[in-house]
Amino acid sequence: MLWLILFFIVPIFIVAAYSVGLLSLLPSDAGVSFFAWKRLLEWDAVYLQLFRKSIWMALEVSVIVVVLAYPVGYFLALVVGRRRYILLLLIIAPFLTSYLLRVLAWRLILGAEGVVNSLLVTIGAREAGDPIQWLIYSRFTVILVLVYVWVPFVALPIFVTLENLDRSLLEAGSDLGASRVRTFLRVTLPLSLPGVAAAFTFVFIPTIGEFITPSLVGGTKGTMYGNAISELFLKGSNWETGSVLALFLVIVVAVLMLVLGRFVQVRNVEAI
Amino acid sequence: MSQAPRGPMPFSRRDFMRTTGVMAGAGLLAACRQVTSVPPVGTSSDTSTPVTHPPIEEETGDLRIYEWLGYGDGSYGDDVLWAEYKDAGYPAPKFIKTFDDDSGYTKVAAGSTDFDIVHPCAYRFEDWVALTNDDGSPTMQPWDTSLIANFADLNPNLEAYGNINGEQYFIVADWGFASPMYRADKIQPDDTWGAIFDEAYEGRISWWDSLNMFIPAGLYLGIPEPYNMTDAELEQTTDFLMEKVPLVRTFWVDDPTPDLVNGDVDIAYAWQNHWWAALDYGSGSKKAVDAVYMNPKEGRISWYCGFALFNGIENYNHAHEYVNSWMSTGSAEWLINNYAYGHTNTAVDQDKVTKELVEQFSLDDPSILQEPNSYPERPYSRRDVYNDLWLEVKASAG
Repeated sequence: MLWLILFFIVPIFIVAAYSVGLLSLLPSDAGVSFFAWKRLLEWDAVYLQLFRKSIWMALEVSVIVVVLAYPVGYFLALVVGRRRYILLLLIIAPFLTSYLLRVLAWRLILGAEGVVNSLLVTIGAREAGDPIQWLIYSRFTVILVLVYVWVPFVALPIFVTLENLDRSLLEAGSDLGASRVRTFLRVTLPLSLPGVAAAFTFVFIPTIGEFITPSLVGGTKGTMYGNAISELFLKGSNWETGSVLALFLVIVVAVLMLVLGRFVQVRNVEAI
Repeated sequence: MSQAPRGPMPFSRRDFMRTTGVMAGAGLLAACRQVTSVPPVGTSSDTSTPVTHPPIEEETGDLRIYEWLGYGDGSYGDDVLWAEYKDAGYPAPKFIKTFDDDSGYTKVAAGSTDFDIVHPCAYRFEDWVALTNDDGSPTMQPWDTSLIANFADLNPNLEAYGNINGEQYFIVADWGFASPMYRADKIQPDDTWGAIFDEAYEGRISWWDSLNMFIPAGLYLGIPEPYNMTDAELEQTTDFLMEKVPLVRTFWVDDPTPDLVNGDVDIAYAWQNHWWAALDYGSGSKKAVDAVYMNPKEGRISWYCGFALFNGIENYNHAHEYVNSWMSTGSAEWLINNYAYGHTNTAVDQDKVTKELVEQFSLDDPSILQEPNSYPERPYSRRDVYNDLWLEVKASAG
């Protein structure tokens, strides 16, 4: 609790104080003001548009990641036998390397003279000097790289949920004549939904505020809301507006957490 | 961002942080917050008091330098820039890198003052001098030029830019240009800043990630004083940048060269060291890429940067020795030959520098930094407004 107060509640109050001018980076006579809040909420469409774009990108990334991670978790928990932990270790092995390296490697793969474009030229699918532009520095690139980064991580909660599944329920479904697909849809999937919801949350919330990956591979088109916050604080020296954007993000995320938390609880009850 | 003297605040950061620290039941937060540089008695921050400093032998010598990437940490063999300092047997400084003037300034303004030397550029000079610590003392102090033996060889016109309020707050060291750089094997633009706003190059353009993009836009639009735009001119330029930003593929932070060489962009706002690096990128032959550094009809933008000294430091003499080393002819020659930049040392042996560079950039002619030979960088009249508008331009790009 002390940890939560020191490193979450107190910082939020500090950010809130900056957002209304109660604190300021540089000396100011302006005093308390809700100007930055007013700008964001009333007419400053640029940042709100960026926020909406980031929400959509986070949704896309989260859905894709969960869809891809579920089979991985399923395979590990219910198909593989004793070697599951060895495979799990292999899946999470990329975490042992630098995050920046993993992201920057995509520039070598997707760049104009990268692996993909060079291969396409070699096999005659593209002409030299006419690379596929959207492979790098685009919204697509940001989503691709984030999916790559998150899939191994998100497979874990799904794996844990499925591994703790009561196998006798699956046997019961089989004994009652249900096909494997029907057993999966009526038994396995509903019981694993809490893990799916947790996985979705793990991806969705940090992705809304993501700024490293967009700044490395997103170019101008892949810019996200987190980039705006970062730049307002650093380059812009505008801590008031930066705090407003950061706090707005925290509020939206908190609401989403409540909603998702409730969903998980309900599914838990139903599962029981 | 205001540079006004510290005025009354509803609740100062210091008070607030202390209070919250107590409320949280720990002094941790208060201890973690802004470092306050309290100048020792007799430092040059108090100009009415005679300045005394211990001799260099009594200093620790552990210099901390807040510096641009490639300006001393040895990443590019650039530790030659302070070779005389090293040869004198002083301990190697610790370099803390900054990628741009704006975020570097913000970090110091936010309390990261644990440095001895910083290397800002001209459009931020006055901001740095105006910085104060929480106790009201100046964050920076002027240099004692009598401790910099090479100062006599430096171009007095350029050093005058570093003299603020009658004190030499900046030892102006390096200077250069900003201009469009392009791949001549791919495009043949007209010699105008308009090339980086041209729809013909959609998706092939890279802009500098800086509010300084307002300047080429202003020059292209014919605005008489781009650093001091009226409200109407700012609105016009902002609309122009927002209209053009969808054409841009990347905002570069430290270097557009890799994207240009790798074929991801064909034209970029660039400094001349980027062009010089592009010519032999990865090959060492100066033939790697057919890059051209444009001389736009509106004029190249020129800039200069200088060393500034933090107040209340323990290594006052070491700091002067370090900068003296940087201002030597050997450093100047290295800077010209390797980065194609100008240096304020006028005693450079012209036989030791690349003549092609000297001729192309008039590195032996300081008047190149004056209008109409180029458009010199200068302080913004309303940086806050420019900043906010630039961030909105960027945010609108997606």
